[in-house]
Amino acid sequence: MKQGNIIEFENVSVSFWQNNMGINSIKDLITKRKKPFSNKTILHDITFAVQEGESMGILGRNGSGKSTLLRTIAGLIKPQTGRIEINGTFAPILAIGAGLELELSGYENISLLLSLYGTSKKNSNALQEIIEFSELSEEVLKMPAKRYSSGMLARLAFSISIAREADIHIIDEVLAVGDQGFQAKCMEKIYNIKKQGKTILFVSHFPDDVAKICDTALLMDNGHIIHSDTAKEIGDKYRHLF
Amino acid sequence: MLYFYSKLQSINKIHNVQNITRIYALSKRNIILRYKNSLIGFFWGFFKPLLFLLIFIVIFSAQFPSINNYILYATSGLIFWFFFSNVTNQSIGSIIGSAGLIKSLNIPAIQFPLSEIIGELFNFVLTLIVFLIIMYWFGISYSLNMLLIIPCTLLFGIFCFGVILALSSLNVFFRDVGILWATIQPALFYLTPIAYPESMIPPHYKIIIKCNPIYYFIKLGRSIFHDSVGPSLALWMHCAIIALVTLSIGAFIFSKLKNQFISTI
Repeated sequence: MKQGNIIEFENVSVSFWQNNMGINSIKDLITKRKKPFSNKTILHDITFAVQEGESMGILGRNGSGKSTLLRTIAGLIKPQTGRIEINGTFAPILAIGAGLELELSGYENISLLLSLYGTSKKNSNALQEIIEFSELSEEVLKMPAKRYSSGMLARLAFSISIAREADIHIIDEVLAVGDQGFQAKCMEKIYNIKKQGKTILFVSHFPDDVAKICDTALLMDNGHIIHSDTAKEIGDKYRHLF
Repeated sequence: MLYFYSKLQSINKIHNVQNITRIYALSKRNIILRYKNSLIGFFWGFFKPLLFLLIFIVIFSAQFPSINNYILYATSGLIFWFFFSNVTNQSIGSIIGSAGLIKSLNIPAIQFPLSEIIGELFNFVLTLIVFLIIMYWFGISYSLNMLLIIPCTLLFGIFCFGVILALSSLNVFFRDVGILWATIQPALFYLTPIAYPESMIPPHYKIIIKCNPIYYFIKLGRSIFHDSVGPSLALWMHCAIIALVTLSIGAFIFSKLKNQFISTI
């Protein structure tokens, strides 16, 4: 691994089993005599490196492989070929609200998700930080989460997700939530994380947001990295895609 | 066998405190959610076998005069059967139901079925205690032998874990598995001597019963509660082998499929 790099990808390819059209029951398997699953390559030959403290944006159309790339970086998906080296801990925010239980109260959800994320509950700072950041009142936090408005749920989910300590923060287009004030607050929080010298990988469909937070960026299309440049340049190229 | 063992090692990544905290949190969630917003909560787990017991008493007890203390005989079979039935029904969708978490957090997928079975074991222990107290009026004789229920439950738990590893992972790829499982359960129930005595089956059909793995565990539990003699060494060995082989097969299937969960759910 090169000095100063925190993430290195070299010729990484990822493929999935894909359900062949129309077969997802045993009956079809017997009567249609088709193979139920075929291999489909999602990411082709991905090579890039991220330096420590760098913020990198990823732009691309829907279905271009951005989320798959982030999941591969976070170790959720194992690549078929290629070399991946990572030198740090992760705090991925890949889907907002995953693991929230609507029947449980806000407090119970915070405690459940903190355990799932592996944050120690003795770290009472985390709890205080989450409650402060979410701006939800004590009364609201005692209610079952099913009675929250969607904006309140998003506040809760984002506040829990962002409270983690890690070297690499992965954020997958999760900012399209909450009211304008909260969105601005989230951007500011991400900017603060960057100022602390943490590495950030940021997926968004808003080139302006990417330019604000990121130094460099990748443009993806159809599972390939088609351009890699400064965030501003990539933002312009992204606009020209449409 | 060695191959299976190495496979087991590789999927059992329960090596650090973080994972134990996670399993604890997930199990606690499962226990809380199961009876949330219900009036009598955990007692539901106890009414289901009780209702079956009443039906059995009304219909069958007079039919089988050969069984002494029919109520105790049926109860000891029923509570084990309902543990098996509840745990498989609860866990079969545990991977599919955790799609959001599997897609966003690096949690070993095995923790989802594992936390389901821990939650269900907790319920089972509570149900068992209630039944043990009630059975006082139906002539159960308490003795230290009853502590054998602990290794018996552990073996049965291992067996069930093997079954749910296979079912929950196959169910991700073919939703038929869940439907099929619900369909064959009643058949499996009546193929196991729970309501009727084993001696009722004609000798040349006994092989069908002997092929049913649950039969051995029910027999083990029953010999602790109903027959005061205690299980034979041979029966313990049978159960231990069945439990380990089932776990190996389940773990093998699970480890073959787990890398494709994320792309399929």
